[in-house]
Amino acid sequence: MFKNEEMEINLGPQHPSTHGVLRVKLRLDGETITHCKPIIGYLHRGVEKICENQTFFQGQVWTDRMDYCSAVANNLGWAEANEKLFGITVPRRAQYIRTMLNEFNRLASHLIWLATHALDIGAMTVFLYAFREREDILDLNEAFCGSRLTTTAFRIGGLREDLPPGFEKMARKFLAKFETCLEEYENLLSENRIWKKRTIGVAKLSAEDAIALGVTGPVLRAAGVPYDIRKAFPYAAYAEMDFEVPTQTAADTYARYLVRMAEMRQSARIVQQCLDGMPEGPVMAKIPKILKPEVNEVYHATEAPKGEIGYYLVGEKGSTNPYRFHVRAPGFINLQCLPKMAEGALIADIVAAIGTLDIVLGEIDR
Amino acid sequence: MTDPIVPQPEAAPEAPKGPYVYDYAASPQRQVVMPKTVPLPSRRTYLAEVKAAAEADEAKWQKMLADFETAKTKAEAEGKDAPKPPVRPVPRKDDNDMKTPWPEEAKDADLLLLQACLGAKVEEVFEQAGELTCQVSKDTILEVLLLCRDHADLRYEMLADQTATHYPAATGWDYSVVYHLTSISRRKRLRLRILVPEGFIPDSACAAYPSANWMEREIYDMLGITFANHPDMTRILCPDDWEGHALRKDYPVVGWGQRDIAFREDRGGMIERIALQKAGQLGINLKQPKAE
Amino acid sequence: MNQPTALEQILITTKVEKVMNWSRATSVWPVTFGLACCAIEMMAAGASRFDFDRFGAGIFRATPRQADLMIIAGTVTYKMAPTIKLLYDQMPEPKWVIAMGSCATAGGPFDSYHTVQGVDKIIPVDVFIPGCPPRPESLIYGFLKLQDKIMTSSLADRYKDIFEEVG
Repeated sequence: MFKNEEMEINLGPQHPSTHGVLRVKLRLDGETITHCKPIIGYLHRGVEKICENQTFFQGQVWTDRMDYCSAVANNLGWAEANEKLFGITVPRRAQYIRTMLNEFNRLASHLIWLATHALDIGAMTVFLYAFREREDILDLNEAFCGSRLTTTAFRIGGLREDLPPGFEKMARKFLAKFETCLEEYENLLSENRIWKKRTIGVAKLSAEDAIALGVTGPVLRAAGVPYDIRKAFPYAAYAEMDFEVPTQTAADTYARYLVRMAEMRQSARIVQQCLDGMPEGPVMAKIPKILKPEVNEVYHATEAPKGEIGYYLVGEKGSTNPYRFHVRAPGFINLQCLPKMAEGALIADIVAAIGTLDIVLGEIDR
Repeated sequence: MTDPIVPQPEAAPEAPKGPYVYDYAASPQRQVVMPKTVPLPSRRTYLAEVKAAAEADEAKWQKMLADFETAKTKAEAEGKDAPKPPVRPVPRKDDNDMKTPWPEEAKDADLLLLQACLGAKVEEVFEQAGELTCQVSKDTILEVLLLCRDHADLRYEMLADQTATHYPAATGWDYSVVYHLTSISRRKRLRLRILVPEGFIPDSACAAYPSANWMEREIYDMLGITFANHPDMTRILCPDDWEGHALRKDYPVVGWGQRDIAFREDRGGMIERIALQKAGQLGINLKQPKAE
Repeated sequence: MNQPTALEQILITTKVEKVMNWSRATSVWPVTFGLACCAIEMMAAGASRFDFDRFGAGIFRATPRQADLMIIAGTVTYKMAPTIKLLYDQMPEPKWVIAMGSCATAGGPFDSYHTVQGVDKIIPVDVFIPGCPPRPESLIYGFLKLQDKIMTSSLADRYKDIFEEVG
């Protein structure tokens, strides 16, 4: 009597909720998604190829533009991968400053996630509040390296400059008010009935599926797996820091929201410890002006705000360029679980699923 | 009477010749410099290199000694002062904070266990920069991955990364495919490596680790290695009709002629026509060169 | 001083063209269309500190059919280029384009195989904003320049090219 028919629709690449230029092909049965296929590559810029044709020192600027919401975390991974390749020991003060900037960057990245995720689901106000605090963090970035977004913050072997005068005061002033700001966001969202209805039980991903699909970062921790590279394989100055890895067991969008909010508190804690225990000393290791590696390959992973960012570098003897440069982008791997999250769900929930993954197309396509 | 010096008008600057067009064909970005070496880290090659270097050093020293002896006898015969005995040169030590990581012998329990379990399928194991590397034979990669995932003492639950590298200068094989495994419960990392020749189709890792799906598609897109039993072996980043594989070493940075796109047609391309006309009056050629 | 008459107090005399330009320039609605890094700065320009709304351009529309302005914020790739062309064609006249950042202007640092060297190879651009990425202030300045352009545009100019061609 009634004809059953599946409908195929296309989401993106220009769609306000796709965080850039993601395209998703959906097949619908009524309002239920029966098939979901993400199509990427709309921002593929050939970063890996460009990097292989430039020197080790020049490589860092491309890492800024991969995950542009958290450029410092990308810079840190790049600098440390190179230091591993060449066997460079970085001074302790530089490690502390790197750790501090990385955590500030995590705050900025999570604030963007909060703003856009809430905006996608329909809570406009949080966007304005979160960007207000993010601007303060960008001011700190600007004070340190002169740029807001694409920082190029570090150098292979340490830092180019020490902290500017007045930085500590700015940072402490920000930390003093940040806790109340977090409470402000939570007042707007945590007990908001619409927010809870749109997030609780939506886009579930069990721990087994997450591990099998290689998912890392807050999405994995919201499924109850306390895997954080800062704790598991400590780098920079994280071994000396006292912080917790927040986890949740519900494995849904709301649990990921709680994990990220708790992570922001931990980041603020780490920054506080860095400021309090900042050692004195040089910020740059003694390294030659031209770096030429021996034959070597390294894979160095760090915990970016989105998950595990890994740099795979192959050094060629006597060459100033990396022979092979590859990035294990957290967004690229995390996005693979979108079909798992979306299939069987309602069409409106795919917006929440994309938002909760916290993807940035710049690093997915590279 | 001499003429007052009349300021001569300077010669007019030469009219610019040729089109003011950036010559992409001649740009350094378009040149392909093929690598001459095979930078594949390996303890075996490292030891061979060290041995060869030591032998060369020794031969050089022996030659210096022999030269000294001949010079000494010659000086004695001529009744001159004996020359100074040679000093063996010491390699210069750089004063910096760098300590090059060399490939070291495998001591880690995981590598030894893999060697014991797999026997001759393991081609090489070594440690470098604190990372474990195990090179296995290319036909057995799926078996090895399953072993790493399921063995009670290994438990590598996650395939963190999979990528490949093109080595055009190598003989007998062309690509290395590397798998970076992570054990979340044991906090360990392991690198597996296979060497594949052009045209060889290795097994897909999707059966062991579903996360390999997109990574293998990326390898196919960028390097052109296809994988057997992969659910969806299509391009992922470049468009489906793209030509070539970008991360091969014989592919130039700016690509092959994909630059000249012409689907701009504002009001029938009028603005462009006017611009070209105006530029032509000024003697400037704005036309893009055709790609070969 | 001449006191305005009663009629002049309630009436403003101006040209139709000027009124049209004024209303267009002060309510430019951009399409929500971010490509890469510059999109984050575009968002920042729309958010609390910089507040794009002051210039009447804060209403980001989710569909090109309701928008007047397209801010190309980021790198244009060969895979994305046909989509951008399609989006531009879907926008109703009058429409304007801002190329934000060096990637949209001339390919930027990405001189590689998959990057279009400037969005002006695909669609006509009114204002180019340099920077990698440009700060929100730069975007606002570029937008003010666009407003100037809109204010000085005339209907006759708009179709001059076509009249010339027709003869």
